[in-house]
Amino acid sequence: MKIRFNGKEIDAQQGDTIASALYRNGQRIFSRSFKYHRPRGLLCCSGKCPNCMMNVDGTPNIRTCVTPARDGLEIKHQNAYPSLDTDWLSLSQRFDWLMPVGWYYKTFTHPAIWHAAEPWIRKAAGLGELLPAKSAEYEHSWMHAATAVIGGGASGIAAALAAAGAGESVVLVDDQTELGGKRRYRKDQTYRESIAKLASLPNVKMLHGSYCFGLYEGNLLGVLQARPHPGAAERLVHLRARRVVVATGAFETPLLFRNNDLPGVMLSSAAQRLYRLHGIIAGSRAAVVGDPTRIEEIEADLEEAGVSVVARILPGDVIEAVGNSSVTAIRARDGTFPCDWIVVCGPLVPDAGLAAQGGAKLIWNEERGAFLPANLPSGISVAGSASGEGLSASTRPLPKGKRTFVCICADVSSQDLCDGVSEGFDHIETLKRYTTATMGPCQGRMCQLNAIGICARESGRNVAETGVTTSRPPNPSVTLGALAGARHHPIRRTPMHYAHEELGAVWMDMGDWKRPRYYRTSTSSVEHDCVQDEYWAVRKGVGVIDVSTLGKLEVRGLDAGLLLDKIYTHRFSDLRPGRVRYALMCDESGVILDDGTISRLSGDRYFVTTTTGNLDFVNQWLEWYAIGTGWDVQITNVTGGYGAMNIAGPKAREVLANLASCDLSTVEFPYMACKEAQVAGVPAILLRIGFVGETGWEIHCPAESAEQVWRAILEAGRSSAIQPFGVEAQRLLRLEKRHVIIGVDTDALTNPYEAGMSWTTKLDKPDFVGKAELSRAVNSPPREMLVGFVLPGKDVPADGSAIVSAGRPAGRVTSSRYSPFRQAVIGLAWVSPGKAEEGVNIQVRVNGNLASASVTMQAFYDQDGARLRQ
Amino acid sequence: MSFLLRCPNCGERSVYEFRFGGEITQRPALDAPAADWVAYRFHRVNVAGLQTEWWFHRSGCRQWLQARRNTISNEVVETYLPGGKSS
Repeated sequence: MKIRFNGKEIDAQQGDTIASALYRNGQRIFSRSFKYHRPRGLLCCSGKCPNCMMNVDGTPNIRTCVTPARDGLEIKHQNAYPSLDTDWLSLSQRFDWLMPVGWYYKTFTHPAIWHAAEPWIRKAAGLGELLPAKSAEYEHSWMHAATAVIGGGASGIAAALAAAGAGESVVLVDDQTELGGKRRYRKDQTYRESIAKLASLPNVKMLHGSYCFGLYEGNLLGVLQARPHPGAAERLVHLRARRVVVATGAFETPLLFRNNDLPGVMLSSAAQRLYRLHGIIAGSRAAVVGDPTRIEEIEADLEEAGVSVVARILPGDVIEAVGNSSVTAIRARDGTFPCDWIVVCGPLVPDAGLAAQGGAKLIWNEERGAFLPANLPSGISVAGSASGEGLSASTRPLPKGKRTFVCICADVSSQDLCDGVSEGFDHIETLKRYTTATMGPCQGRMCQLNAIGICARESGRNVAETGVTTSRPPNPSVTLGALAGARHHPIRRTPMHYAHEELGAVWMDMGDWKRPRYYRTSTSSVEHDCVQDEYWAVRKGVGVIDVSTLGKLEVRGLDAGLLLDKIYTHRFSDLRPGRVRYALMCDESGVILDDGTISRLSGDRYFVTTTTGNLDFVNQWLEWYAIGTGWDVQITNVTGGYGAMNIAGPKAREVLANLASCDLSTVEFPYMACKEAQVAGVPAILLRIGFVGETGWEIHCPAESAEQVWRAILEAGRSSAIQPFGVEAQRLLRLEKRHVIIGVDTDALTNPYEAGMSWTTKLDKPDFVGKAELSRAVNSPPREMLVGFVLPGKDVPADGSAIVSAGRPAGRVTSSRYSPFRQAVIGLAWVSPGKAEEGVNIQVRVNGNLASASVTMQAFYDQDGARLRQ
Repeated sequence: MSFLLRCPNCGERSVYEFRFGGEITQRPALDAPAADWVAYRFHRVNVAGLQTEWWFHRSGCRQWLQARRNTISNEVVETYLPGGKSS
């Protein structure tokens, strides 16, 4: 197996992690520290500390000590220049007096100073770099279990076996490459039998190499599975369990002495891991630091490995580790001992963060020297060392010093913490925020206990009173890619989508929908030219547009009219079958929410259209208002079931007449009428309405036949030069008719009176949503009014441009286009009520200048609607 | 927020399948004073404790339901279809 490290090919063995392969190939410095760029080597070897983070295949901050080596992996170091072994920025240590604790707050007191310094600091400090070209696949999955066991050590395995034996479905999550926890690197390997048994049970699922990063409400566990299959970088598993067993064990933490971060200083569990799992002996002459009982445990392993132990030192007796970029000696109270390896038997800390996230309290236990979970909520239990089982308090000296590192993630020394407390941050939570200790990638795993100890001593409290910082997910950190999941956005295509594509559609997004913005022609793909062609086709000949994205609801029942009367401002119970009416919906504040048309197809059957984006909410509202009324009414969302198109223009009738089974004459099929008839042999609902201002029909037909109808219309219209038109031409056409678009020309405060649509509200109805407020509004002076304006010339003001009066903003443009019909710029704007009169001059801001426009309360085109009714 | 809600039609589901519909309130009479309408539209009790509220099962049966939920712990005490308690 070969991996590449900084471009150099190196060998890796089966079972190697990236870090073990690098170590075997002579790498000793694995990273450079956050602030001072101090060399850092392997410390925990279990994915708990920040020391081995590298860029792996383009993904930064990967803990290489728990990431299996794989053929062809591309590994790069981080945060060091030019190399890990020689990092020029390590000179910054000499200037540590410039960077005392809280130096951000003390130094960058003015935005100008910060803005000048920020780019340099960002470059110098920090972790890995995110490469923009990075492409990785992430996915999500959902799992359910009666019991979820987090941690695959001895107690986790036992808990899983017990639950599985009782017939429960079990999911076991373990963050290492293999189950076994600390048994894996002990001599006694009998635990493997229970793993084999567990693997044979059909009701047990195991997630290997998976971090549980959070326990959320309802026993939802966030689990990050690394490389679930070769096609995916990471998978986020949403694991829901009735019962959660936290068996996350305990991890070893560093001891404090000067230069305790020097490469070659290693936790005893890391030494064991390297030796037992990877066959690596990390030194030949070791000094062991720890309490005598702990030293005994590790000494046997060192002896077996043939390491000579040059010194056994009590934690309180260590003064410093000696060496520049690796350990050369250890200086203690009773002398200096040359060595190439310092094995630290540090205090064991129960990994009980998940239990705390689940609602448990962490209470200090003096005897076990740890914060232990208590007051566990039902459904959560803690097993093994995570509960404090088998732990005993060990010596934990807390010397003060500038090179005595408590937080190795952010280079916070014990001196810094003491200074923080003396500056007034004497509460563990404020001290944490001020110094950033416990806030790095290890999330306090390595430093929390020491930080609490120092805070307690310096503030004159005991550890129990000082307490512990809050454990919050995600911990450990999660890639944003994994949270975001697979990179596919749902797309809705109308039934005629591929026909549009053939016609050269240029797409635009409308919510999830794809709609043709305009169609390229054989002679031009310039938007302006194409839209002009489409526009003139509708005004002078015939055009057709896909309006399938409209929300479509069928409202049926004897009392359907009553419900519509209640929701919409207009009256619908008196609408004659075969007729269509414009429908406007307000909320209880009288604010316009949505509009559409309502057609009464028969006595108890209404066909309701909504705007594209509001369908879901209108549907829910109708359902909600029907509750408790006892009315006979059923609401069915038929949006996906129907395709729809609008054929419009002076020649629309003659084109459609070739296909429709009904009489389309104005006498038989007048404006605002509806019929059910066949179009091109397909049963359809035809509505004679005119959003674009010409004679036209909106045709709704079953989605599966919509493309057939669309093609038939284009074919039938060929001799009339029919033109498919897109959203842009439609917007121009409707603007000339002064038809408003809800949400574009109206906002969250607009009522129908201000929008000039008072004709839609029937205050004589017994009740409807918004009536109470609209009854007041009708007699109150309007806040502002929506008016049309005509602006000579061709410069179109941008949407939102200001209307200016006496040098002050006095309104805004909501929509504006150049009108080919008026040969001037037209638009809609909100102005003060005093300006809402025909012919009044207003000043519109266009391209930075003021232009004089004239207000109109009329449509810009076909003011009396004669063309519409033809 | 990741608690479970029991839909009377579909059973226990993740809260992400639902749309929150707000506190259950009483619509004032049409001729009620304007202040009552303002309160109905904008004022919420925002109780810290048990609250009766609306939910819409958007990704399920698409029905409105009512629930009693502790707003501090997000413990859902009961859910039922409007007008009828489930139990």
